Amino acid sequence: MTKPTISNQPVQTPEVMIGAISGLLRDGEWVATGTLSPIPAAAALLAKMTHAPHLTTLIYGDPDFRLSEGFHELFALAQKGKIDVFFLSGVQIDKQGHINLSMLGDYDHPTVRLPGGAGSSMLSALVRRVILFTTSHNRRLFVPKVDFINATAADDSPWRRGGLSHVVTPLCMMVFDGTKKEIILECLFPGVSLEEVVRNTGFDLGIGERRIPIMNPLTDEELAVLRGPVQERMRRIYPQFAASVWGS
Amino acid sequence: MKVRRDLKTVRDPYSGNEYVVVLPIMPDIAIIHAAKGSRSGEIVTDATRNDRLLAMAAKKTIAVVEELVEPEAVLPRRQEVFVASVHVDAVVLASGGAHPTACPGIYETDTAHIREYVAASRDEQGLTAYMEKYIFGPDDHDRYLETVNFRKE
Repeated sequence: MTKPTISNQPVQTPEVMIGAISGLLRDGEWVATGTLSPIPAAAALLAKMTHAPHLTTLIYGDPDFRLSEGFHELFALAQKGKIDVFFLSGVQIDKQGHINLSMLGDYDHPTVRLPGGAGSSMLSALVRRVILFTTSHNRRLFVPKVDFINATAADDSPWRRGGLSHVVTPLCMMVFDGTKKEIILECLFPGVSLEEVVRNTGFDLGIGERRIPIMNPLTDEELAVLRGPVQERMRRIYPQFAASVWGS
Repeated sequence: MKVRRDLKTVRDPYSGNEYVVVLPIMPDIAIIHAAKGSRSGEIVTDATRNDRLLAMAAKKTIAVVEELVEPEAVLPRRQEVFVASVHVDAVVLASGGAHPTACPGIYETDTAHIREYVAASRDEQGLTAYMEKYIFGPDDHDRYLETVNFRKE
């Protein structure tokens, strides 16, 4: 199944994102991924096969991951406080870390109707850390203020367990500053300039006088594991994604 | 409500009805008995029990199983329920582990033994003798099953 040519190819953007997310996962954590989340799923598998062997991975859609009845069991686990990390995305994300999955424009007269928030609101409050991931990085996505709030990054609700931790995009990794309650830039991915990130982000990234480091998210060893056993597992779980990254 | 003064009520904002609400029960540990289980933690259990609900409610769940099989062989038959491994923290292999109660479909309740226990537990002396013979006497689970003359039907 593994094409021998893979190892010679340059590192691709989804692989960089997978490596960056994998580095955020800690050994022993319970990590769940929802629908349409191939990058977080691969990151969880990579972490488990490298630095976090005791990670519990709950990959929705994995034919090897059996639930008794359905997705509601993941919600029940979140309610009980058993899920440490969950992944969400948004059609719009703003500086306060709000995500919008519902509609664009005015709520009563939307220009675009989106699929909706599903469990994002509840899960973002009941898991310990939320990692946002996006497959593009532009000013339509990273906006000053979202048109509708499906999930907040943090609030003072007594039942809230955690909140937004990081945002991983094709260009960079951002971190949620828990004191200021806003997203700031943490590091750039290789080959990406600071100017490119700033130009494509619709809000102030809180750079100030900071020097923004360039992250190298994958060691040679991690890349080999990603393109070997992780890639093979991903063929079963997300075949289209796997074919798009590693060829068919 | 006269007896349980600790219980509280809420008004259903939709119907306006007043309801008594109780806090959810969250056991620290649930121990459930299952017909089959795998090393990865999935099990099948009798459908008439509420074992899956119990496993999902408890902070930790220990499943005692009659038989260890490969994960793909953990399939519920009629009147059985599948419990996913996310709800199970430990699997213990102990064939006959439900004795003297039943494991439905595999063995029935040992009524003779339960009668013996009920008779023995009438006084301190009888209970001590029972405990010595069946609980403290046997070195392990297999010896226990021999002592009680356990048989699967």
